[in-house]
Amino acid sequence: MTKKILAALLAAGLLLTGCGGEKTSSDDKSTFTYGTVAYGVAMENAGTNPHESYSGWSAIRYGIGETLFKFNENMQLETWIAESFEQVDDFTLKIKIKDNVTFSNGKKVDGDAVKKCLEHLIAVHDRAPKDLKITSITADGQFVTIKSAEKVPALLNYLSDPYGCIIDVDAGITDGIAIGTGPYKAVKVTDTQIDLVKNENYWDAVKPKLEKITVKSITDGDTLTMAMQNGELDAVQGLPYSSLQLFNDANKFKLSQAETSRVYQAAFNFKTPVLQDLNVRRAISMAIDKENFTQVLLSGNGTPAVGPFPANLNFGDTKVTAAPYDIDAAKNLLAEAGWTDTNGDGYVDKDGKNLELNYLTYTSRQELPLLAESAQASLKKIGVKLNINATDNYKTFLKNGDYDIFSKAIVTAPTGDAEYYFTSHIVSGAVDNAGFYDSAEITALENELHNTFGADKRSDIAIKMSQQVLDDCALFYAAHLKMSLVMKANVTGFNAHPSDYYEITSAVEKK
Amino acid sequence: MRKYIFRRLIQLVPILFGVTFLTFAMLQFSEEDAVDMMFRQQGSVSEEIMAAKRAELGLDKPFLVQYWNWLKGVATGDMGRSFISGKLVFETFAEKLPATIELMLASIFLTIFIATPLGIIAAVRQNKFVDYVIRGLSFVGNSMPNFFAGLLLIYFFALKLNLLPIISSGLQGVILPALTLTISMGAKYTRQIRAVVLEELQKPYVLGARSRGVDEVTILLKSVLPSALVMIITLLALSIGSLLGGTAIVETIFMWDGVGKMAVDAILMRDYPLIQAYVVWMAVIYVVINLAADLLYRYLDPRVAWEEGDADD
Repeated sequence: MTKKILAALLAAGLLLTGCGGEKTSSDDKSTFTYGTVAYGVAMENAGTNPHESYSGWSAIRYGIGETLFKFNENMQLETWIAESFEQVDDFTLKIKIKDNVTFSNGKKVDGDAVKKCLEHLIAVHDRAPKDLKITSITADGQFVTIKSAEKVPALLNYLSDPYGCIIDVDAGITDGIAIGTGPYKAVKVTDTQIDLVKNENYWDAVKPKLEKITVKSITDGDTLTMAMQNGELDAVQGLPYSSLQLFNDANKFKLSQAETSRVYQAAFNFKTPVLQDLNVRRAISMAIDKENFTQVLLSGNGTPAVGPFPANLNFGDTKVTAAPYDIDAAKNLLAEAGWTDTNGDGYVDKDGKNLELNYLTYTSRQELPLLAESAQASLKKIGVKLNINATDNYKTFLKNGDYDIFSKAIVTAPTGDAEYYFTSHIVSGAVDNAGFYDSAEITALENELHNTFGADKRSDIAIKMSQQVLDDCALFYAAHLKMSLVMKANVTGFNAHPSDYYEITSAVEKK
Repeated sequence: MRKYIFRRLIQLVPILFGVTFLTFAMLQFSEEDAVDMMFRQQGSVSEEIMAAKRAELGLDKPFLVQYWNWLKGVATGDMGRSFISGKLVFETFAEKLPATIELMLASIFLTIFIATPLGIIAAVRQNKFVDYVIRGLSFVGNSMPNFFAGLLLIYFFALKLNLLPIISSGLQGVILPALTLTISMGAKYTRQIRAVVLEELQKPYVLGARSRGVDEVTILLKSVLPSALVMIITLLALSIGSLLGGTAIVETIFMWDGVGKMAVDAILMRDYPLIQAYVVWMAVIYVVINLAADLLYRYLDPRVAWEEGDADD
């Protein structure tokens, strides 16, 4: 009887494994399966409707939508659906649309289609109206004229935000599917998957090569790793750092990395008396071992930061300077400020009290607790005791002012422009100015920036502002995060972009 | 019987009040609400904008008013919309349920298919080698957490043997997640079935049957197994209830788009309407499944009587 039961079990097992079903196969060169941790309800980007929350990111990342302008590798703006533009005056922008652009349903993109799309965007989206400040849009043939209520020097940048994907509003949104102009069109959208097919009407000279693309949300790092290892996926985004070394075999896999404007920073609380001393802030900034943090703790997935913006931006790290890592110099600065270790307990003290600081951060960004530990170890070398409070309930501590240093991760130039970072984190009274930093120079420069048009002029002002922040040691910047895409060796045209916007393009191919 | 069923269903009302109120109250303890979670992605947002969003969602109202508004909606069949996705809660549930039911059916089928013969074999071969092996395996299966079992199965069946896909949908895709759930459930069932079969095998009617020359297989299939069914149904009622609530960890590992993962996402995002709907679903499922199990007991074993006063129904 036992034999019979075992035989039955085996037969059932074979039956089940042999039965049909949709087994993902990525051997076919015309299909592409992409696993990502960055899609889903929790990311607020489930769907492809750019006018809803963050779904524009999904539209642009997966080749469905395109914006009027786009960022190049150096985060400089280029035309995309737009052919050219003219800044008529400080409040008026005139854009000419390329004559050959069509939506994936074959309809021509003209000024009227763009007008309807932008009007719908500012009517329903939560962030766009506040960014764009549009008062009126008029269309004439291939031209669109946008008037703003106030000066918006970064208007072109905002129009390049994923919410600015141009979609056919007349066609409507059905089951989360928007009709865009990109090389691929969505045919099925769920909270965990997007199925795409080639846009046969794609307007650009570089035509899409793949017949079918499946974008799968895979939030578990181990599952993502093993699905890539066993060949079910052609490419992945968001692998755990510890898994990246599994894909070193160049015969099988390729890695594409780009430095993003996500920075790991820490703000000094100017309400803490001891941190009102520039020498103390500078000493702490100089004691942070950024090289060790990025190379060892981030496994090379970051670059040591100087200021808030990465080097690939015109106003980035190559244009500013910060106090270098130097433990001895940091100790000297503390001594100048009157902090020395008088009782031999390993910590510097003054008036009988050790230099002890509370370091607040949160855990939902895996790198932040690592930075906290790294900072704690580094500061011990100069005799500063750091008490770490890594909690996702950090807002309560922020509200109560219960911290001396607050560390966070922030995308400083989401649309390739610096002003957002300064107005949100640096100027006096800014919503996220956690250190209560108040600088007259910064206020004056921000006023100038707000009224200046032209990328080069704006970059010059942004550099001055970053340098001022660094000279004042209001914050220290530890690292800029690199984003990594891992793909099979036969995948080409699939590259990480510093904006984090563009992933699947018409160039993606399987050889 | 109808009276009995009616009374059991009436009991559902205070249960629903209790669990939904408790859940709503517990959610208030969190420092962050859905608006905090929504705007977390957006970097810097002023307090004014967040306050406006709270007013729009009704989160600025006192807790009891919020609960009452939700309750009024439910009473009129409106479960509301998800704060995060904006979709109707009912639609969201309807989208996710088929996947959860598919996984539940597959894992229950595998569990019964594997655990029943193993439990019987272990009982029949008590204290023999086979018994020790089965007991050992069930001990291991029982103590292995689902996430670990799932990753092990992926490693061997998908990565090393390349027999099964990790992230596919369809019948092949359900095997690994169902097997993962089967490991712990099957282990528990095997031990229970072994125990109940052993107990039945000691009973006088079995000894009598043996004395009259009835063969072992007939005794097992015709007498012992039907007696063990009551216990199996009790286990099944608990398992089905739990599985219909989704299995968040297994669903996350295998990217199985069911209600368990939905519930965890909803909790993480403080999506109150979805959380409340999930709680209602769980309460209803447990009451209905347990009622169905009670009715089945009566059908399978006439010795099980209705509660006092129901005998004449």
